[in-house]
Amino acid sequence: MIKFINVYKAFNDQCIPLKNINLEISKGEVVVVCGPSGAGKSTLLRVINKLEPIDDGEIIVDGMHLSDPKTNLTKLRAEIGVVFQHFNLYPHKTVLKNITLAPRKVRGLSRKQAREKAVQLLERVGLAHKRDAFPIQLSGGEQQRVAIARSLAMEPKIMLFDEPTSALDPELISEVLEVMISLVKEGMTMVIITHELAFAQKVADRLIFMDNGEILEVGKPADILVNPQHARTREFVSKILHVH
Amino acid sequence: MGLLEQFSHWNFYLLGTYPKGEIGGLALNIILAALALSLSFIFGVMLGYSRLSCRMYIKYPCVAYIEIIRATPLILLIFWFYFFLPYLVGGNISIFWSAVISLCVYAAAYQAEIVRAGILAIPRGQLEAALSTGMSRLQAMKSVILPQAFKIMIPSFMSFFVSLFKDTSVTYIIGVIELTQTGIIISQRQPDKMLSAYLSMAIGYFVICYTLSHVARRLEKKIGIYDLESYRPDACRDEYMLLPTHKTGDEEEHPSRICSPKPEFRKDL
Repeated sequence: MIKFINVYKAFNDQCIPLKNINLEISKGEVVVVCGPSGAGKSTLLRVINKLEPIDDGEIIVDGMHLSDPKTNLTKLRAEIGVVFQHFNLYPHKTVLKNITLAPRKVRGLSRKQAREKAVQLLERVGLAHKRDAFPIQLSGGEQQRVAIARSLAMEPKIMLFDEPTSALDPELISEVLEVMISLVKEGMTMVIITHELAFAQKVADRLIFMDNGEILEVGKPADILVNPQHARTREFVSKILHVH
Repeated sequence: MGLLEQFSHWNFYLLGTYPKGEIGGLALNIILAALALSLSFIFGVMLGYSRLSCRMYIKYPCVAYIEIIRATPLILLIFWFYFFLPYLVGGNISIFWSAVISLCVYAAAYQAEIVRAGILAIPRGQLEAALSTGMSRLQAMKSVILPQAFKIMIPSFMSFFVSLFKDTSVTYIIGVIELTQTGIIISQRQPDKMLSAYLSMAIGYFVICYTLSHVARRLEKKIGIYDLESYRPDACRDEYMLLPTHKTGDEEEHPSRICSPKPEFRKDL
């Protein structure tokens, strides 16, 4: 589904977030990426739908080559849902309009169709009663669930989560994780950046540990968390587990 | 003082020789400013947006236009268009339209900068969110970025309108009979009442500008509703000043500060 071939990306000489990344993610797989800040996790995610261009190598998503100038970027992005750390809801639109905007503009749904679908999705994330609220009136957890519903409205084949819970109060994290778990059960292909290692252990098919633009370890979450091979991974895991 | 006496000329001050002749006076200032602002609005938005383009052949002409116009005094533009526009269009052009065109050219450059600042003020995540749901750049601009940016721009547009309104007085130099010109005409007819004539002009400008600024402030308060992270428009210094950075550590947090909005540095205040 997603294939990285020798992907290289540099912002400047010092900052090289991706150094020759090779990775293949198959359909229906749930991959959790973790690592210290500045490791290149976010960049790894953002190059998948070309929010950041890459400097070298090739990424193939659902058969589309990203470096090919003929690739229809909007079509590609419509198939990939992204959930951001800071939600990025549109503050001037109500919850319902946040969700219906893209399906109407991109998929060409009628107002009524888009609305029906949005209400369905809101019910699914447990926020049907907030449909006419503005994002500022919602809590962080609610905003993030709306953001997930907004991505799902496009019926994406892949969902990317960029630290979806790290801007939330500890109490609100579980409500977002629950929605994500329901997606996992549906067999959605997901790439998740998170520091919730317990969650990772529960849902991930594979866990990737990154540092300094390189993938240091890939494997079953249980293996990596319990028995990390790399010294850097060991240090990271012990620090995080120590906190929890 | 003679100021009261000047009120017998109110018709001339406010409307010029209208209805017998052409409209003039204060009304003409308003018409000039409103026409210039609205005619140049679309052009200004396009300029401001194009200035942000990645394509050099679009960006640099816009930058050149904006910078040249902003670095030129308005009076020079007015003269320039007055003398050279007839050559360019190959025919006579009325003083009024020559004034309107030069004001438009001038206003477009400033509006472009307001638009650019407004677009850049929208957090990057908004565009990213819109793009990653599959919207094109143009769609994202239209439904996500610009509606939010215009809200931010409204106060700047209002204050620019006020200053444009005052700038219309410069058009007297090519013989547009607006408020300044009417005042000059009257003061020449009654040289002994010169002071009061000039005072009457000032009152005319002040009343309009003050009203506009007042409306702008009201508008500003009204549109800032959902943005809880910003300060209120009427915030005073204590609310947005940075906390002292050299805290000794053992002094306690002042109770009034604990619940007050988080002080953070904002460039725009």
